[in-house]
Amino acid sequence: MTTMTPSQGGPAQPPSPQALARLVDLAEDAILSVDEDQRIVLFNRGAERTFGYVADEVLGQPLDLLIPVRFLAVHHQHLRAFAAGPVDARVMGERRPVHGRRKDGTEFPADVTISKFHDGGRLFLNAILRDVTERVRAEGAIRSLNQELEARVKARTAELEEANRQLARKNEENEAFVYSVSHDLRAPLVNLEGFGKELSLACQDVKRLLTDPAMPPGLRVEAEAIFGRDVAESMTFIHAAVGRLSVIIDGLLRLSRAGRVQYDPKPVDPGPIVDRVVQSLRLTAEAKRAAVTVGPLPAAWADPRAVEQVFANLIGNALNYLAPDRPGRVEVGAVAGGDPGASTYFVRDNGVGIPEAYRGQLFQAFRRLHAGLAPGEGMGLALVRRVLDRLGGRIWFESAEGAGTTFYFTLPAGPTAGEPTGAS
Amino acid sequence: MSPPGKPLMILLAEDDDGHATLIRRNLTRAGVANEVVHVKDGEQALDYLFRRGAFADRPKDVNILLLLDINMPLVSGVDVLRILKGNPATARTPVLMLTTTDDPRDVETCYGLGCSVYIAKPVQYESFVEAVRRLGMFLEIIQVPPVNGGGAV
Repeated sequence: MTTMTPSQGGPAQPPSPQALARLVDLAEDAILSVDEDQRIVLFNRGAERTFGYVADEVLGQPLDLLIPVRFLAVHHQHLRAFAAGPVDARVMGERRPVHGRRKDGTEFPADVTISKFHDGGRLFLNAILRDVTERVRAEGAIRSLNQELEARVKARTAELEEANRQLARKNEENEAFVYSVSHDLRAPLVNLEGFGKELSLACQDVKRLLTDPAMPPGLRVEAEAIFGRDVAESMTFIHAAVGRLSVIIDGLLRLSRAGRVQYDPKPVDPGPIVDRVVQSLRLTAEAKRAAVTVGPLPAAWADPRAVEQVFANLIGNALNYLAPDRPGRVEVGAVAGGDPGASTYFVRDNGVGIPEAYRGQLFQAFRRLHAGLAPGEGMGLALVRRVLDRLGGRIWFESAEGAGTTFYFTLPAGPTAGEPTGAS
Repeated sequence: MSPPGKPLMILLAEDDDGHATLIRRNLTRAGVANEVVHVKDGEQALDYLFRRGAFADRPKDVNILLLLDINMPLVSGVDVLRILKGNPATARTPVLMLTTTDDPRDVETCYGLGCSVYIAKPVQYESFVEAVRRLGMFLEIIQVPPVNGGGAV
């Protein structure tokens, strides 16, 4: 290497031809030259390592020795073109990878630069090349990993889509089941209520008979006590129980219907709908000394009846669960900057709030947190969530016990992708 | 007004004995005194209407009003309604559907097939009585044509 170092203080000296020859010989890359007849005239140590030949075996031999047979024809053509062309150095293999052939016949991919020059009236064609088997293998591994990954993502996506379809189907089945069961439950209920009333009527007849003067007074008092107290009380409980069952079953029927009803989404201005809902709840609001205010509401893309159902349930709930000890305030409005592509609305009250422990089950059917405060089957919020589900919206809430609750929900602001515009 | 000389009878097709009993009692209580024949499935209802099978010998010269439950074994109420309305001989028989559901699809189907009135059997007794009372009024004003096209219209 000392030959490469400029001598101290003197002008820079180029290395001697011997030093250059040594540089070539020691290079890690394979360096080889051929003459005009494509006979190998230079073969460095890198070339020996790369091709598995010692220089003596190949010097004077045709270059074809180092090239896979199937590339010979095209290689000859390229080399002639390069020899005759104006360019004196370039990288090979820009269009397809270049391959070399080792002594043992195996092939390897290579990065190759070629050059040419005349020396002493003779043309020399030179190649510097490097075995890139490892790199190509690694690239192949990365490529196949990528392909595998893509395939797995695709398969997983398909699985998820299938799972989604199955869930939707399951949901439909469940709703159909709930529907038919609730429907079947109504028939015996008609009997219970009907014959309960028949019994009441029969009791009235018996009581009338008891007024007959022929009835011994002691017996009459006793019988009147039985019919007036015990039987009447039993009938009252049966009647109340049947009424409650009936309300529950009707709620179930409505809930299962929410999953099956055909929605007809179109542009909806919620303003007039909310005004109508508030108007219909006016008496309730007055009875509760509650003020309902409605702010500006942005348009939505939904079924108007479903939108009315959602607002009616939420505003009705807000009114039902106001705190009895202070004037009620219910506020309906919209918030900006929610989900993209959606309009976000809220219904806020200053009512009793939702206890921490019940927040997880709020949207489940038959959960009534303040059963004493208002009538209902505990179906409203389950229904609201199911309806919003169907409309492509979502619902959540914030609540402070004793201070009030705010329900937020979203509806699509415009037609969602893949959905018919509904204009037809 | 019914054609003179032909009594109006009520054919009650109802598989639930309780419901049938309640309906009969309340018809009576509402002042409807017409004869009531109770059959328990759609097949029997059709046999009665077309005077065949067990009912081949039933009186011929009667006007029939059909109270028809939707959910019945063998032949459903909807099928009875379809067959009845599809046959010119029976198409004009007034039919009152009595069901436990007010499912809009069922209501639509039945009115589409030509039933006269669709009553959801109410669980609340008061509304049930009200429905029967309306039914009684309906019976008083209805024009009941003869079954089997008896030629007396």
